[in-house]
Amino acid sequence: MAIDLEDEILQDFLVEAGEILETLNEQLVDLEQAPDDADLLNSIFRGFHTIKGGGSFLSLTNLVEVCHKSEDVFNLLRNNELQLNADMMDAFLRVLDELNAMFEQIRSGEDPSPADPALIQQLIEMQDPDAVSAAPEAPAETAQDGEPATDEAVADAVDEAAAEAAAASDPAAAVEEFVSGSDEITDEEFESLLDALHGPSGKPKPVDIDSGKAADTEPPATPDAPAGGDGDEITDEEFEALLDELHGPGGKPKPVEAPPPATGDSDEITDEEFEALLDEMHGKGKAPTPPKKDKASSGTPADAAPDATKKPEPAAKGAAAAKPQAAAKPAAGGSKPAAKPAKSAARKEPAAPKGETTVRVDTARLDDIMNLVGELVLTRNRLNTLRQTFDDERVHKAISSLDVVTADLQTAVMKTRMQPVKKVFGRFPRVVRDLARSLGKEVQLELEGEETDLDKNLVEALADPLVHLVRNSVDHGIEMPDVREQAGKPRQGRVVLSAQQEGDHIVLSIIDDGAGMDPEVLRQKVIEKGLMDPETASRLDDKACFDLIFLPGLSTKDQISDVSGRGVGMDVVKTKISQLNGTIDIDSKLGEGTALRIKVPLTLAILPTLMVQLGRRKFALPLSIVNEIFEFSSKKVSVVDGREVVLNRGKAPPIFYLRKWLLNDHEAHEDYEGDPHVIMVQVGNESVGFVVDQVIGQEEVVIKPLDRLLQGLPGMAGSTITGDGNIAIILDVPGLLKAYA
Amino acid sequence: MSETQNDAGNLQCVTFTLEDEIYGIDVMQVQEVLREVEVAPVPGAPHYVLGIINLRGNVVSVIDARTRFGLPTKESDDMTRIIVIEAQQQIIGILVDSVAEVVDIDRKDIDTAPNVGNSETAKYIDGVVSRGDNLLILVDLNKLLSEEEWGEIANF
Repeated sequence: MAIDLEDEILQDFLVEAGEILETLNEQLVDLEQAPDDADLLNSIFRGFHTIKGGGSFLSLTNLVEVCHKSEDVFNLLRNNELQLNADMMDAFLRVLDELNAMFEQIRSGEDPSPADPALIQQLIEMQDPDAVSAAPEAPAETAQDGEPATDEAVADAVDEAAAEAAAASDPAAAVEEFVSGSDEITDEEFESLLDALHGPSGKPKPVDIDSGKAADTEPPATPDAPAGGDGDEITDEEFEALLDELHGPGGKPKPVEAPPPATGDSDEITDEEFEALLDEMHGKGKAPTPPKKDKASSGTPADAAPDATKKPEPAAKGAAAAKPQAAAKPAAGGSKPAAKPAKSAARKEPAAPKGETTVRVDTARLDDIMNLVGELVLTRNRLNTLRQTFDDERVHKAISSLDVVTADLQTAVMKTRMQPVKKVFGRFPRVVRDLARSLGKEVQLELEGEETDLDKNLVEALADPLVHLVRNSVDHGIEMPDVREQAGKPRQGRVVLSAQQEGDHIVLSIIDDGAGMDPEVLRQKVIEKGLMDPETASRLDDKACFDLIFLPGLSTKDQISDVSGRGVGMDVVKTKISQLNGTIDIDSKLGEGTALRIKVPLTLAILPTLMVQLGRRKFALPLSIVNEIFEFSSKKVSVVDGREVVLNRGKAPPIFYLRKWLLNDHEAHEDYEGDPHVIMVQVGNESVGFVVDQVIGQEEVVIKPLDRLLQGLPGMAGSTITGDGNIAIILDVPGLLKAYA
Repeated sequence: MSETQNDAGNLQCVTFTLEDEIYGIDVMQVQEVLREVEVAPVPGAPHYVLGIINLRGNVVSVIDARTRFGLPTKESDDMTRIIVIEAQQQIIGILVDSVAEVVDIDRKDIDTAPNVGNSETAKYIDGVVSRGDNLLILVDLNKLLSEEEWGEIANF
């Protein structure tokens, strides 16, 4: 089937399902820590279910199948009929990967390819051993709440009932087949099943089942529709009505009638009631046996008996069998509240009617707003420049208030683009878990400051570097459990990932209590690799040694395991962070662990810069890398190794004349009466000085990317419009040094 | 503006001059014409890119038509204009000696195979139209900014 990406329903589904998948990822990892958490299991179950519902509406069969099978298994899990183990976790996480891959395909307009059959098989096998006990969800749930002892009894009871019902009549046989766990019942089959059930007694099809079914095809559009696509939303009244329908006039004191009261107020279905329920079921199943009280009261034993037997059956089983089927859902929905009364009811209640307090906004629209605010900021800057020329107090006042409002607006708009850093952090439990498992390590990941807000673009841009760093921590930082024990540390390693805001920066740190890095080893390594001569290397202090891991040549795989990167090098991480105008700082103690600190600005859209002048041209240097500014004096300049250096604070960093680099020949020879300064900038571990004709001052600028014709020019990060309406080029200092130095 | 549609075989052209030749660009691709404004050079840019200008808050690159057509450069004067055009989804300014007028051209009159000008110019020519004593050279903007030029920029 061709996928219509323009389809709004599909788009909504993609967005919604994407969020669910993200949540599922977190929840699954959480689940591993708390395998018995019923809420968690339920919510995962619902997650798969919702995706499945949406998927089936859009005819994404392959997607539906995987969700469906997972849902089945989770249904068993949440009913305590299966115990979660590590293999299952692995399988579920693979399911998630498969789903993510499918969503990728859908996003690119392809029909999702079928999931790995082996995985599906695994999912099926998971539920298989429990095929029998799969039937009685209702009792199982009740048992969980009250009377564990009855669990098996119920299973037996229901089985028996089913078996006898099967013997009783044809439709009942169909039911039995259903009970036996055949997931493959189609809507039509189910419908005919219902017909069969009601046919004999000539009753109209239950209204609720119909509506339930209808709802089932609609959930993608209206997942919260009162009809309750996932069945949980069915109200008590509806349920009661459904029961009435099922049992019709004949069934007054029916077995299934026991649950409704339970649904109504509590999960306190009493033992007596339950026992009675069992009796009833048995009683019904055995039509020709001595009449029970209910049967007697029904007045039409012969007719009512098979009838009743069938009725409770689909209900019970519907609830039990992992809602395998779209069609099974309505029945399931009907009986579920009965099965696990207060629990789901209580949870549902507060969740359902939460009012809409958020609006989805296309990020492109936010970007537009951000751009406009940028323009406003520029205009404000311009007015600020012009205000000196006005002599009117009122103009000054107006400009001042414009200034304040613009600043507020800028902050407000920035905030709309903010996303909690959780968005990135969310994937780490999984990353760490998988890695630790494959390496045979024990690692506990702690997340701190997940609520810290960060510009959306930054959140995305930071994801990869962070994953790399966290992997490094687990892979190379944390030692094997035995090694840790010998070192007198707990077997379980600890990685702390934290985020916090510091002024207009965000600081992300990754701290592990692993082996730490040995500066000596690093020194040896750079010398070995010929990246540095022994003398230079020996002069490095420990901190400078740690910074060596960011050197391009050092992060290859043959590198000793406690420092090296894999795949992406640390230099790539470093480059990425500098592109974001951020810095990365590393600290380590041999045997105690390593701490990495990444500092990035809150937003990328507005950049604090230092404006400088060369000849008649203005250039902007990102303020974040500027360390120091001092007056240029030719007396302080000397030549070392053929390079000009300037003496400053006992050091002699190299200096470069930006004039020579950035002005064309014609302009470079123009004399400019300025006040030359040296601007010290920090690039990686290096400090270099740039000589400029004049320092203009600090200015917040809005980055205007260069267009296609000029994109990718080395050393040019973009341009901006200055307060006087002219254009200034924003320099990319690392690129500049690479291209010109 | 509706008449400016290329219907009925008519083409409206903005004409501009370089050296002593008259050139024309499809009016539909022209956004506006600016008197020369301060162009900020971009270090490291290809030689024919003069730099960038501030067009009401948007940054637009300006290329020098003379350099592009292999003509000697000339000091800008009162007549110098920047024609802001849109081609291939981007806005670009073209610096020309002067802008003359908008003319109607019958497509029938376009001669597609002339061999005028040097080879550098010929690359960007769509055709020529004879108008009285003058020859109007139609410039193909898409070729002017064509893919091979991107390649050239990449190699820069």
